[in-house]
Amino acid sequence: MTVGTDRTTPGESELDALVGTPFPGGEATLEPWWVHLVLDSMLADSDDGGAHPVLVFLAATGAMGWTWDELFALCGATEADGPMAGETDTVVHHPLQVGETYRVSGEIVSAVRKVGRRTGTFDIVGYRLDLHDGNGVHHASTTNSIVFPRRGN
Amino acid sequence: MRPTVGQQIPVRIIEAVDPARMKTLSALMRDPNPIHFDRSAASALGLGERTVNQGPSNIAYVMSMLGNWAGGVDRITRYRFRFLGNVLEGDRVQASGTVTAVDETPEGLLVHCDLALDVVDGARVLEGTGTVRLPVDN
Repeated sequence: MTVGTDRTTPGESELDALVGTPFPGGEATLEPWWVHLVLDSMLADSDDGGAHPVLVFLAATGAMGWTWDELFALCGATEADGPMAGETDTVVHHPLQVGETYRVSGEIVSAVRKVGRRTGTFDIVGYRLDLHDGNGVHHASTTNSIVFPRRGN
Repeated sequence: MRPTVGQQIPVRIIEAVDPARMKTLSALMRDPNPIHFDRSAASALGLGERTVNQGPSNIAYVMSMLGNWAGGVDRITRYRFRFLGNVLEGDRVQASGTVTAVDETPEGLLVHCDLALDVVDGARVLEGTGTVRLPVDN
């Protein structure tokens, strides 16, 4: 599925229709140099290797098959609209390992419109990404939400 | 020693969040959002004159604290967080946690914790929970 990056705020029915949309997906290989530099950037111990659980999110989103701009566009927004991270829920069944390649797949799992007294209209879009190894073993999943302000609404 | 409900996890302090590490992580994540590497972009969005730390880094500070206490980050089986605010370059932040439940299972002790990240003398940035699996001899 190809996503353009033009902004079109979805109506509520279009928002509902987002649920179930699959990500193109891809493959993520935890290369040693990349893991080392990521851990260093996050002040984590280099001995943690691929097992540091935050790598689940980074590996998954790095191979989800869309850029962030494309994901935002799917949700009718751009970076300039100020999308914000809402919540994150990551489950590790088997710690990731340096040198391994994981298949990333996922889908949009929720999309709701809300109105706050101070914040106005905003949408919360949730997505789940799963990582499986070459044998089909499910290693981890990460479910996250993005909050999209709809200032024009 | 077996963890007990109410036990405090030793806190972790980051004395000053380093903007150079934000730039490196932006490149590694291929994250084009300039608030992580361009002060003027952060300022233009009303976020102040400092760059904004990446959310995964904020979570990593807490996970490293939890893993250090649990005997390894490979023992962490789940974490959940709400993003409540930003960490800016130079901020002093504190990761903290408290044991809320200990469940004995055939696979080991599942220890559930409340977790948080706060800017010292500032606002709470992350609030959530984490679970670690420990050997039964703990």
